[in-house]
Amino acid sequence: MQFSYIQPTSIEEVFKLGSAAPLYAGGTDLIGLMKDDIIKTDKVINIKKLKGLDKIEDKGNKGIEIGPLVKIADLIENETIQEKCPLLVQTAKEIASPQLRNMGTVGGNICQRPRCWYYRGDFDCIRKGGDTCYAVGGENKYHCIIGGGPCFIVHPSDLAVALLALDAKIEITSENGQKTVPVNDFFILPEDDETKENILEPGEIVTKIILPEQAKGFKTTYIKFKERSSWDFAVVSVAAVLKTDGNMIKNGKLAFGGVAPHPWMEAEINQKLTGLNTDEASVDAFTSSLFHNAEPMEKNEYKVILARNLVKRIIDNLA
Amino acid sequence: MAESKYVKSKIFFEEEFEEKLAEVPTDPKGPWPANDNLKIIGKPVSRIDGYDKVSGTAVYTFDINLPRMAQARILRSAVPHAKIKKIDTGKAESLPGVLGILSSNNAQEIKWFNTSSLFDTHLRYQGDEIACVVAESEAIALKALKLIKIEFDELPFTVDAKEAMGEKAPKIYDEGNIQGGKPFEYARGDVDKAFQEADAIVEDTFDTQVAIHNPTEVHCSVVNWDGDDLTVWDSTQAIYGVRDTVADALKMPASKVRIIKKYMGGGFGSKLECGKYTVMAALLARKIGRPVRIVVDRKEMNLAVGNRPNSVQKLKLAASKDGTLTAISHYSYGAIGGYEGGAGCSWPARQMYKCDNVKVEEYSVFTNTGPTRPFRAPGYPQGIFALDSAIDMLAEKIRMNPLEFRMKNNAEKHPMWNAPFTSKLLKEAYEQGAKAIGWDKRNNQPGADKGPVKKGMGMASQIWWGGGGPPSHAVLKLNRDGSARVIAGTQDLGTGTYTFMAQIVHEVLDIPMDKIEVILGDTAVGPYCPSSGGSTTAPSVSPAVRDAAENMKIKLLEAAAAQLESEKKNLVYVNGLISDTSNPEKKIDIPGLMGKMGEQTITTTGSREANPEGYITQTFGAQFAKVEVDTLTGKIKVNKIVAAHDIGRVLNRKTLDNQFHGGIMQGLSYALMEEQIVDINTGKVVNTNLHDYKIPIIADIPEIEVIIVSEADPMNSNTGVKGCGEPAIIPTAAAIANAVYNAIGVRIKSLPMTPDKVLMALNQA
Ligand SMILES: Cc1cc2nc3c(=O)[nH]c(=O)nc-3n(C[C@H](O)[C@H](O)[C@H](O)COP(=O)(O)OP(=O)(O)OC[C@H]3O[C@@H](n4cnc5c(N)ncnc54)[C@H](O)[C@@H]3O)c2cc1C
Ligand code: SF4
Repeated sequence: MQFSYIQPTSIEEVFKLGSAAPLYAGGTDLIGLMKDDIIKTDKVINIKKLKGLDKIEDKGNKGIEIGPLVKIADLIENETIQEKCPLLVQTAKEIASPQLRNMGTVGGNICQRPRCWYYRGDFDCIRKGGDTCYAVGGENKYHCIIGGGPCFIVHPSDLAVALLALDAKIEITSENGQKTVPVNDFFILPEDDETKENILEPGEIVTKIILPEQAKGFKTTYIKFKERSSWDFAVVSVAAVLKTDGNMIKNGKLAFGGVAPHPWMEAEINQKLTGLNTDEASVDAFTSSLFHNAEPMEKNEYKVILARNLVKRIIDNLA
Repeated sequence: MAESKYVKSKIFFEEEFEEKLAEVPTDPKGPWPANDNLKIIGKPVSRIDGYDKVSGTAVYTFDINLPRMAQARILRSAVPHAKIKKIDTGKAESLPGVLGILSSNNAQEIKWFNTSSLFDTHLRYQGDEIACVVAESEAIALKALKLIKIEFDELPFTVDAKEAMGEKAPKIYDEGNIQGGKPFEYARGDVDKAFQEADAIVEDTFDTQVAIHNPTEVHCSVVNWDGDDLTVWDSTQAIYGVRDTVADALKMPASKVRIIKKYMGGGFGSKLECGKYTVMAALLARKIGRPVRIVVDRKEMNLAVGNRPNSVQKLKLAASKDGTLTAISHYSYGAIGGYEGGAGCSWPARQMYKCDNVKVEEYSVFTNTGPTRPFRAPGYPQGIFALDSAIDMLAEKIRMNPLEFRMKNNAEKHPMWNAPFTSKLLKEAYEQGAKAIGWDKRNNQPGADKGPVKKGMGMASQIWWGGGGPPSHAVLKLNRDGSARVIAGTQDLGTGTYTFMAQIVHEVLDIPMDKIEVILGDTAVGPYCPSSGGSTTAPSVSPAVRDAAENMKIKLLEAAAAQLESEKKNLVYVNGLISDTSNPEKKIDIPGLMGKMGEQTITTTGSREANPEGYITQTFGAQFAKVEVDTLTGKIKVNKIVAAHDIGRVLNRKTLDNQFHGGIMQGLSYALMEEQIVDINTGKVVNTNLHDYKIPIIADIPEIEVIIVSEADPMNSNTGVKGCGEPAIIPTAAAIANAVYNAIGVRIKSLPMTPDKVLMALNQA
């Protein structure tokens, strides 16, 4: 593939370039997509030289602002994040491998494309503009159990799951200005648009990830089930932000990865957490109610059990 | 001087016996003493090529870069079954930088497989070769591939062995999809009667996946013509095999084809035969008059250069109350892809245990999937997985410890031919392995652990060939300064052949290791040695090298007698010094002696002696696994593997441990993770990269303890070595599976034992 490689130094320059070219941050996802002929383009815009987008800033009670060009490895090393948001550190450590964390950026991580093997392979599926979802009736062991149709991907980002549980917001900048949206509204389901995973339009750039100030007294954890010890995407993951009081959960949130086309959080689940007793029977009753509305595919029913069991483990460990 | 003679010798290679006429020595050199009494044999010696490899100076086939070298790549079928109507290469040819294209349009007919040709217009699997482009660069070649237009009729396909066996399945060959038209059958005793009389019977179906070799170095060749002489650098396990296939394909005398392979990044069987790509590169190189490099990339490797076929095995076993295994019935089938191959996995059922009544019926089935190739002990990891799972089930049924049950049914003679073994220390392997793992602490009650994470222990047995045999030759040359060069037409796959050849020369002649140069992997200079498969390299080559070295010692003593004017019978050779026992003044060391000869070198040859008539040489062993199973996630973690084996003499403890560690890791991967997945609806593979085709990372690997129970197998050869590369992988999956059952009380009968399967099994139990 031949393409021109453009290196703007200001965001205004990017907008002047016109809209359709892919942005290149760490390139750990983009290069693979291009090599596998999933993205065909005659232009690539390197955004690494854009100023000011690689900082982590503590804004006091306005929370923490994370630039999209911050490396995943830097999240792990950063003292502010370590102190104020250990969940993000824990999550970042679960991502890929040290080499990939050194290259991959936070912005790239939440904007990475799905890992469905049909999408990544020589299959002209719905997400690539074709008219078939090969996962249906096919090899769907790693696909979604909820929120799918007509495409059944899971969103691959670990960070996105934690950011969802942390009520983070995403700042998006375009030629027309800036807007800030909650993570929940950033990601979309295939039923809204089966060719993309988030609301970004061509010409829009993620310029900030904003972590609101975290309320005191919450315990957090990220538990990621992967098939090998490292360098593997989540089969199912759960980010938890919980406040406990003795044998009771006062309130909290659970966000799930690996179950749906976007990081998944259900108000109904979180409501049930409030006042949940942490004795075995109550926890079992709670977990077995999770994903009762899931619609697993032929080969991924196990994910329902897995998601329930991971929540059980989290509550057992935290409480 | 040693003379040679010719004998017919039987050698077991990968899947069958081969009889070869072989030149063997007339004066066999007698066995070595135990390793404790040897200088360097059996010691943990670092690889002599280790520095070159880790420093990056080692040039692999992949790295070879010749002046004016062009690059070739292959266009492969994107669909599982089709007939080509038309290939239009016009656009590709006019792409600047394209030097030539071969396809069925213009290539001469060269027979390939029994049923096909180099460029067949009947495409039988995704990945089947269609055309080959040579260009100034790899990028241009790849671009050109996309410009080739293929018109084809897609044909109905079948990718599942069971379906393919059925009446309604699309036929890949007119004669039908069962290779040979019938199953392989074997029987001894009376199985039906034994089942009727049995005290206990178990019956179950086990299945195993398709696994891909995926060595680190991809398949590749570099070819260069010099007039009518063809030189091929190839990443291969069989320099002579490649030479013969290339020579036959191009209708050239074998003498005009030279195959070179110095360093190699693994093969595991996938590089045991010549690939089509090598012949295509040779044809294109001749056409364009330039050297050509051809590379098969990771995706192609996951489609088209062989696999360990899947298996579905229905086993029925019977025992009497006292623990005697009385019957084994093995029925199996497996997919061999679009071309001839083998999916048999019944060797363990036929020969692992003493059992009077055995019946086997197994089918190799043509399907529209990638071809099979020998993969580290073809048929055995899958066969032992099923057999030793069933053995544990049977032992449980008669309430006998599975270790004791195996001990009781140990075969003193080969169960199929009633022939004695040259050596068999399986009982010792059982005993020492059990002790090392702490077998007495195994759960008596499977699944009894409290809490979600449950621990268990399991074991399985190993049998394999690995005796090697003739023909296998070596040449040894001594130089003016007393340095040595040892040459053999064998190959080092990364297993340590270079190092053990030097060790043997050092052991016999006391020439310092750094003055010994090893030349192998070159058909132009090395005398014939067999392909490196079947764990036969060390047992075949080491005796030939020792023979050459001992012959050199004889020559040196003769030369010293002349130089010292002594009587030969009075001379002794100790630590590289030749001295006259009748006159202490008279002595000479090897550099001194060689210096007297000026620039002359002396040369000896050596060969592997014949295998003993009427005896069977096999390797044996047992592996023991400690696992823990997280019942909330279904994930299996292996905490320890003990491998106790009888592999004859250890040549080098370091490279031996490497073989076992590598084999056990590969076995663990086979047990828990790796699997080629074919989409049933499209007939295409969905995981052709190393991210989706999962193999473990180092954090998944447990502590591995390797115990060698054998000292040597002196009846087999003058070094008493048996092979160890394949034994290492054979029992790992079965031992893990039995440990998993012991941990959770639920038996997983399907490989790989991935968390989803375990979780579903636990929740259905
Ligand atoms: C082998 C492997 C294993 C992996 N395992 C994991 C894992 O376990 N967990 C996990 O979460 N991830 C995993 N990843 C994904 C990895 O974390 C991402 O590839 C990485 O974070 C992407 O960051 P990048 O900077 O390299 O993005 P790039 O590759 O540069 O970009 C990725 C995408 O995001 C877009 N993009 C980048 N920055 C912006 C921006 N500021 N605004 C708008 N769009 C933008 C790009 O246009 C592109 O489409 C894995 C990746 C690989 C290759
Ligand atoms: S799940 Fe989505 S990406 Fe995967 S095959 Fe279906 S449509 Fe394509």
